[in-house]
Amino acid sequence: MTKYIIESEKIGKIGDEFEPTEGINVAALLEGGFISTAGEAKSHKVKSEPKE
Amino acid sequence: MATSTYLSNPVVTVNAVDLSDQCTAATITKTVEALESTAFGGVARVYVGGLQANEVTLTLYNSFASTETYATLNALVGTSTNITIKPTSAATSATNPIFTLTGCYLESLPLINASLGELDTIDLTFTGGVLTSATS
Repeated sequence: MTKYIIESEKIGKIGDEFEPTEGINVAALLEGGFISTAGEAKSHKVKSEPKE
Repeated sequence: MATSTYLSNPVVTVNAVDLSDQCTAATITKTVEALESTAFGGVARVYVGGLQANEVTLTLYNSFASTETYATLNALVGTSTNITIKPTSAATSATNPIFTLTGCYLESLPLINASLGELDTIDLTFTGGVLTSATS
């Protein structure tokens, strides 16, 4: 699930996570610079190459 | 006699963005379409309620500064969003209800309204959406 971070005081405290409610246009907030994408939580495990 | 006087503290958000410091007028109108149900034998027209057809109009100062009016509204044209309006910035209560129009549509956005010696202001109309109010 994508996590959004507040970048403008006009929608909340900067740095806090933004949780959009139903009906909020997230694309418009991203385009306007009000929030940014923190990205999905992904595993840091790196697959090693198989040994031959 | 109690009346509502609006000075400097109503709160207006568009798509969760607080635009109170750019807003000089806000009107939210609750409308339920009238469907005529008059039939033979009636002596006057009568109606029943149909669908909601709500509307919000806002007057805002236009600003191209970062995270201001233009940045808030530009990407909303042709889409639906939420608007909230509260009479004062005090806590939401029975005497300070918050009105939310969910899923209202912005058809057009004036980009420039330039007059010599005057501040650039724009009038917006959001149509449709479901209107709710909350007192807590």
